[in-house]
Amino acid sequence: MSSTPTGFFSFVGGLSRFGVKSLASAVIPPYEWQYFLIQIENIGWRSLPLIAAAGLALGVVTALHTRGTLVRFGAEALIPSLQSGSFFNELGPLVTGLLISGRVGAGIGAELSNMRGTEQIDAIEAMSADSFKSLVATRVVACIVVLPLLTVFMDFTGLLGGFFSEHMASGISLQLYIHRAFSSVGWVNFIAPTLKTCVFGFIIGVVSCFYGYTINEGSAGVRRAATSSVVMSSLLVILSDVFLVKLIFFFFPGKAL
Amino acid sequence: MSETLAVEFKNVSKSFGERKVLQNVSFQVEVGKALCILGRSGTGKSVTLKLMIRLLRPDSGSVSVAAEDIDGLPEKDLSRVRRKMGFLFQSAALFDSLTVADNLAVPLRHFEKTMSPAEVQHTVKELLGQVGLESDKDKLPSELSGGMRKRVGLARALILKPTLLLVDEPSSGLDPITAAEIDALLLKVKQERHTTLVIVTHDVREAHKIADTLAVLDQGSLVGYGTLDELKSSENEVVRQLILES
Repeated sequence: MSSTPTGFFSFVGGLSRFGVKSLASAVIPPYEWQYFLIQIENIGWRSLPLIAAAGLALGVVTALHTRGTLVRFGAEALIPSLQSGSFFNELGPLVTGLLISGRVGAGIGAELSNMRGTEQIDAIEAMSADSFKSLVATRVVACIVVLPLLTVFMDFTGLLGGFFSEHMASGISLQLYIHRAFSSVGWVNFIAPTLKTCVFGFIIGVVSCFYGYTINEGSAGVRRAATSSVVMSSLLVILSDVFLVKLIFFFFPGKAL
Repeated sequence: MSETLAVEFKNVSKSFGERKVLQNVSFQVEVGKALCILGRSGTGKSVTLKLMIRLLRPDSGSVSVAAEDIDGLPEKDLSRVRRKMGFLFQSAALFDSLTVADNLAVPLRHFEKTMSPAEVQHTVKELLGQVGLESDKDKLPSELSGGMRKRVGLARALILKPTLLLVDEPSSGLDPITAAEIDALLLKVKQERHTTLVIVTHDVREAHKIADTLAVLDQGSLVGYGTLDELKSSENEVVRQLILES
């Protein structure tokens, strides 16, 4: 991204056009189901261990921190509901978005840039096949579909981590923990923040495909595409989160925790 | 354009930003003949090949393939023309995530949708046999040597039995023995299938073995065009350096 104002607007324009084109390409037949399913596996299935490990660890850590504070006020019974509230509303969606920005964003950026540099994209075009549809549109849509599913997985592994921590500290049963965790959260607290990760998925898919598909500078280009994909998609995920949280509060004012 | 011409460039120019890569380049390739495009690095040789298959488009002038102006063709007709062309890329451009056999099957699955999986498999096996890699069909490109990758790339370029084969630096990065094997394969394709060849190379000995006609590019301009004997009497400094001093 250029540091001059002209370069900045050129980058924003190029990225926006790229995003619109990827969605248009995805909805216009023929559909590349085979490539799409491969991306679902690469982006979703293969991210599960990372999400599970991060969710469990984060669940344990947040429960430990919360207990330290609430015990002083005799309010440790609130720990499960604080865990579910924080994971469903913010921790689950945002941490999943950032983890996938790192893992998948770098992977897509590096892979596509390498394909560009080694003429694999030219080889697809030389057959009159639509490389944009098979390489970009499938990845963007896969990111949009997979992010909410991974977020749900992160939410529940986070709650599980919190339960382990609480069970060790106070001996709370799983049944009571679940009852307390879900007593103060409604569907809106779960569905709206989970669905906002579709936007995170769109951002990660478009940004990383944009860098990977357009940068053709050999091995230095692969490094630049991978790094820029992670930095830019992480930044945009965080910035868009501010806007999306505000939007959720606007549409569901009474439901905000 | 005569039907005996496989490729015709008329006053073709191409620039990337401020850099003029080709300037008013004109030449012809007859059907069944081999043209070798020679020149130093960065003189527009690979760009010339990519213009022929419309991976790039000219800024001015016209590029015709099999008597059709390729730049003006709608996508559907372009696909029909490309169906008759094969392209061996400089890096072989094999798809990293696919096995050797699947790499060869990609053009068949794209262009020959009525072909059964058994027919695809049979054709792939036959082509791999011709390039001597039948036993490597389940390997990934990362498991192959440079020469093997080139041969797989050549097999993929030939799998649709093209009438025009475009080859970018067939011997670059290869040892002399493997390079000679690739040259022999290209010569066999030309002689047995009567395929028109356009080969970009910087190796005059390779060009001498395969080509009917040579074209020499220098700084985007065509500075020599003709048979090897004709070019030997050229007074152009670059042509003399390439032809006589190699």
